[in-house]
Amino acid sequence: MVDTDNFTKVAEVGDIPEGEGEGYDVNGIEIAVFNTGDDYYAISNRCSHQRAPLCKAGDEKINAEDTWTGERGGLNAEACTVSCPWHLWEWDLETGEHEASGQRIGTFDCVVDGDDILVRI
Amino acid sequence: MESSVKRLDSDAEVPPEAFDDYIVDLDFHVNPLEDELLEYVDDERAYDKLTTEFGATPVMGKWDAAYGIKEGQEGLFTQGRAKYAEDVEEACEPLAIDEPIVNPGINNLNLQHHPVLKNAVCQAANDYMLDHFADEGMYTSMMIPKWDPDYAVAEIERVANENNIVAAYSWFDPKVPWGNERFDQVFEALVENDMPLLLHGSLAYWPQHSYIGDDMLTWTEVLGFDWPIHAMVTVVNMIMRGVFDKYPDLDVVIQEGGHWWVPFLRYRMDEFYEMHPEDVQITPRKMESGDRYLEKAPSEYLRENIYLCTQPFALPRNAGDAENLLDLSMAEDMFIYSSDWPHQTLDPATWFYTSRAFDDNTREQILNGNATEILDI
Repeated sequence: MVDTDNFTKVAEVGDIPEGEGEGYDVNGIEIAVFNTGDDYYAISNRCSHQRAPLCKAGDEKINAEDTWTGERGGLNAEACTVSCPWHLWEWDLETGEHEASGQRIGTFDCVVDGDDILVRI
Repeated sequence: MESSVKRLDSDAEVPPEAFDDYIVDLDFHVNPLEDELLEYVDDERAYDKLTTEFGATPVMGKWDAAYGIKEGQEGLFTQGRAKYAEDVEEACEPLAIDEPIVNPGINNLNLQHHPVLKNAVCQAANDYMLDHFADEGMYTSMMIPKWDPDYAVAEIERVANENNIVAAYSWFDPKVPWGNERFDQVFEALVENDMPLLLHGSLAYWPQHSYIGDDMLTWTEVLGFDWPIHAMVTVVNMIMRGVFDKYPDLDVVIQEGGHWWVPFLRYRMDEFYEMHPEDVQITPRKMESGDRYLEKAPSEYLRENIYLCTQPFALPRNAGDAENLLDLSMAEDMFIYSSDWPHQTLDPATWFYTSRAFDDNTREQILNGNATEILDI
């Protein structure tokens, strides 16, 4: 039984495909919620480097078929990280840490309650 | 209290204020597929040789930026690959770029061996860009060969008057610097056609197989500092060798060569020149003109003839420090915004809205004022 006091519903199960993320504004705070397949993770939507929107990580590139990786940054479910769509800064979804710089961005508790995906800001 | 939750607008990647400003991006790379590019090669003999199994640009740089980048060579296509005008429009929309100045971005061409084949690629690139961009109403930088000034002039005469061709794109590198008199005919053609010379970093890095070159092992050294060193050398060489006394209307834009070195050059050039200026009279252009000195202090040529693309901006986090640095760097007169799309050092115009360092005038000058002053747009 999940104690959902102080949590806010942002989406329903199925809204965020496995391996992808979505961006939400919750009471004026931008967050990105990622679905690793095993869990959902909520992290600040803005990379601390240049404020790129992390929810765009994994978006298909323009003419992706003529590039090598096909996507702009993306979610690494195994490592539980997301790399920024602009400069590939890699953020730990659990700690919000960027290992190379030691910088941190906010992470938020994220739970599934029935069909609802909830975050605590 | 009722919570407010909304899904984020997926069409905007930069701050909303950016969409209210007119943003000119002076370094937007297009990457044609090689097969499609080579269809534009006019000379059959060159076409035959360029379509061997080695491809059009077989010589690789000694250093590989891929070592330093998470996705390896994908750094060249971190954002995607624009082949046609509609691709550029799609890329610019979420970044609030109103006026991309596109170039064919074949930055390893300068490194290749065979001048005739390189010229053929240059000709093909210009025709490809005319067909797919300039004729589609998109402002375009034509490419000119540094290795062959005669051919550079011929290409300028052939292409410069086409609609929407607004600049000439070439490279700074560790080879013959642009202050050399062999380039005078190029400068004359550019001034005559009222086009700025854009000098981008090339894949011809620090002299290869040299002591310093061999010991540069990281991307930070090679791309972060090798290019700015050659950019500085190029700028000082052009100023001290009297290029801008002979061609006062010539505008030169350094792309991806750094910009925070302006204070260093500005004060050091003036200090050194004013201390010992007697060798200027024996540089070739001054020998010809009979002038003894430069017409102005060296730093004045920086302000009047040199422009610097800002990508990657690397703005100090402290707004006061950043404001002082912008001022010392004559940013209001010299800096021009560039995104470098689609490369790994992409610079969307976020700094201008997330830092308090910019007053309205400085922001406008960097985002469009300096660019529109030198480009016929």
